[in-house]
Amino acid sequence: MATNNQFDAIVVGSGMSGGWAAKELTEKGLKTLVLERGRDIRHVTDYTTALKDPWQLPHNNRPTNADRAAQPIQSTLYLYDQSTKQHFVNDLRHPYAQEQPFNWYRGYHVGGRSLMWARHVFRYSDLDFTANQREGVGIDWPIRYADIAPWYEHIERFIGASGENSGLPQLPEQVLQPPFEMNALEKHIRSHMAEKFGGERKLICSATAVLSREHNGRGPCQGRNQCARGCPFSAYFSSNGVTLPAAAATGNLTLQPDAVVHSLIYDEGKNRVTGVRVVDANTRKTTEYFAKVVFLCASALNSTALLLNTRSARFPNGLGNDSDELGHNLMDHHNGGGATASYSGLSDRYYRGRRATSMYIPRFRNVGKREDKFMRGYGYEVYTSRGSWTRGIGSADFGADFKNEITRPGEWNLYMEGYGETLPYHDNRMWLSPDKVDSWDMPIIQLSMTYRDNERAMAQQMMDDAVEMMQAAKLENVSGFNNPVTPGSVIHEMGTARMGRDPKTSVLNAYNQVHSVPNVFVTDGSCMVSSPTQNPSLTYMALTARAANHAVELLKRGEL
Amino acid sequence: MSNRRSFLRGASILMGHAAFGQVMTAFAAAPRKATFFTDTEMQTLRALVDVILPATDSPAASAADTHYFIDLAIPACASVAAQKTFREGLKTLGKKRFAILAPPEQVVQLKARAAVDMEPPYDQSFFKILKDYTLTGYFLSEVGATQALAYERVPGGFQGDLPLKANQKAWAI
Repeated sequence: MATNNQFDAIVVGSGMSGGWAAKELTEKGLKTLVLERGRDIRHVTDYTTALKDPWQLPHNNRPTNADRAAQPIQSTLYLYDQSTKQHFVNDLRHPYAQEQPFNWYRGYHVGGRSLMWARHVFRYSDLDFTANQREGVGIDWPIRYADIAPWYEHIERFIGASGENSGLPQLPEQVLQPPFEMNALEKHIRSHMAEKFGGERKLICSATAVLSREHNGRGPCQGRNQCARGCPFSAYFSSNGVTLPAAAATGNLTLQPDAVVHSLIYDEGKNRVTGVRVVDANTRKTTEYFAKVVFLCASALNSTALLLNTRSARFPNGLGNDSDELGHNLMDHHNGGGATASYSGLSDRYYRGRRATSMYIPRFRNVGKREDKFMRGYGYEVYTSRGSWTRGIGSADFGADFKNEITRPGEWNLYMEGYGETLPYHDNRMWLSPDKVDSWDMPIIQLSMTYRDNERAMAQQMMDDAVEMMQAAKLENVSGFNNPVTPGSVIHEMGTARMGRDPKTSVLNAYNQVHSVPNVFVTDGSCMVSSPTQNPSLTYMALTARAANHAVELLKRGEL
Repeated sequence: MSNRRSFLRGASILMGHAAFGQVMTAFAAAPRKATFFTDTEMQTLRALVDVILPATDSPAASAADTHYFIDLAIPACASVAAQKTFREGLKTLGKKRFAILAPPEQVVQLKARAAVDMEPPYDQSFFKILKDYTLTGYFLSEVGATQALAYERVPGGFQGDLPLKANQKAWAI
C-alpha cells in the first residue's frame, strides 16, 4: 500500500466511469485510490432486498409517507420502491437548488448509478459526432467514430451485452450476445412495421448490458427484472459486480468509501494538480491524498462542482475554466412524446419470466433527409405486456367473476416513449451557491435548465410518429401523448465540462484532459459536446477507458 | 451447470443474510391486532375485502389478512386526505351495519357506493382507495400471488412467446 497518502492515480467516483478508470489504471500497474463519497455496497452480500418476495417487503413494496418525506425527489422515480430506496440519496441530506425545476436522481454509494441504471448500451455514430459542426450548433466534437470504435468494442467484450444489431448506419454494429426473445405482440408489430416502413423504421431488441448467456462466470439473466436491487447472479453490468472486482484483483486498488472530495489541490508552480482534499462523510475530518494523475468520474454535476470549487489566483473561476464554459451547456434527454395502445388479438399467447430490457426503434429522423421543423432525432423504447391484476383497480367491478377475470392475463398493452436529443444551450447550466454549503462544507449546486423550441417541435413529432407506427401495426386504442418533461428526469445529465479542440471554447481536450492542467482527466457525462439520441453510458465507459490508457502512455513518456 | 451453480451461490448468500431470517420470524409472529382502525371499522373492512375478492378457486381476501395489510398500509402510505376519506367511508358503511348484512345486500350497498365514486375525481374516492389497497394487499400477499395468481421469484430466464394454457393464471409481477 501507498505511504503518506501517495498514489499513482486517484479516481473520484466509483460508478459507471470510475469503475472503468479503476480497472484500466490498475491493470496497467498504477497504484490507484478510488474515492467514493457514499457507503460501501459489496457485490451480492449487500443486496439486502434482492431475493425478497413482495410480501416480505414493507407494505407489499409500497413506499410510505416517511419515505417520500426523506426522499421527495428520488421517490418520484419509476424505480423507487421498498426494494430499491436504499440505493437512492436522502434528498434532505444532499440538497441542491432548482433555479428551474430539475430532478436530480442520485445514488451515493460504491457503484453509484451503475447499480440502478436502465442498462441500455448503444454506440454513437459519426452522424452524432459531426452534428454540431454540420449544423453550426455549439462546438465540434474533437473526436470521430474511428477514434472511439475500438474502445466501444473493448468495453462491450468485457461488460457483456445482449441485443440485436439494427444494421442501420446511425446505430453502429456492436459486439452483442443473442437478444432476449420478442413476445407475440412484438413479433406482430415488427412484421407490420417491416411491411409499412421497409427497413427505415424497425423494432429490435435493445442492446442491453444484461447477459442472455453466461459471460466470464457471470449470469445469464434469470428473468427477474429486479436489477435495481442489485443482481445476485451478476447478470447485468455494474461497477460493484464487474469493474471494481477486476481492479481489486490486480492488487493495485485502494477503495475508500465515505470519502467526500471537497476540492483538488493545485500547484501553481508546477501547473499540476497534486492531489485532492477529502472530508470524511461521517467524522468530517479532512485528509489529503496525492497522486500523479487525477480522474474525475463523480457524475457530470459533481465533477464539474469539484472543478468550480477549486479556485486559485491562476483559476479564479474554477480549475481549468479559462473558457468560462465550465458549468454551461447542461443537457439531458427528453422523453415526453410517445403513445399507448392495446391489442385484443393474440389472446392465446403469453410469456414466462420478466425480461430485463425493452424493445427499441432506432432513430429515423434527420438521418437521410433533413427535417424542416427540428434538428437531430430520437429513438423509442417500447414496452409491452398482457394486462395484470392492476387493471382491476380502476374498474367499478368486484366479486367472484371480477376476481376470476383479473387473475387471467388481460389484453396486450403497449407503452412507448421517444428519447430525444437535446441541443447544448450555453445558458442551461449549473453553478455553485455563493453562500450555502452542505454538511461537508461543499457549496451546493444550483441548476437552471429548460427545453427549447427544437425539443418541443421534436416532442410533437415523437408523439405523431409513435401513433402512426402503432396504427400501421394495426394496434387498437392508439393514443398519443406529449407530456412536459422536467429536466434531469431521464438521468442523463451531461455537458458541463465539454471536450473540444480549442481551449478558448472548451474545458477538456480530445483525451478528456483539462486543457490547461493536463494531469486532470474528466471522463463522466460532463465531457459531452452534444447529447445524441442514444443512451450515453457506453460512451462514458469507452471515453474513460480511452483516456485512462492515454494517461498511462503519457506517464510512461514522462509527459504528466 | 454453471447456471445452477451461480444461482445457488447467489441464493444461499442472500438466504443467509441476517435480515432475511428476521423478516420471516417477524411475519410468523405478527400479532393479528389492528393498529389504526377500530374494531368496528375492522369488521366492516374485513367484510368489504371479501365482497371484493371472495373465495373462488383461491382463498378470500380476509384469509390472506388483507384487512390487516390495509390497517398497516393506510396510515403509513396514504395521504392524510386519503386516510380521512377512507375512514369516513368505513364509518358510513359501518352505520349501515355492512359487516352483518346478507351477502346480496352487501353487493347492492357496495355497487351503490362504487357508482357514486366512479364519478370524477375517482382517484381520490373511497372506492378507489379501497380497491387499490385491497388488490395490492391480496395479490402481492403470499396467498394471492401464489394461489390466485402465478408467481416465480426466480423464473430462470425469459421465454417470450408461449401458448397460453387453458385456465392459466396471470403472473403476479
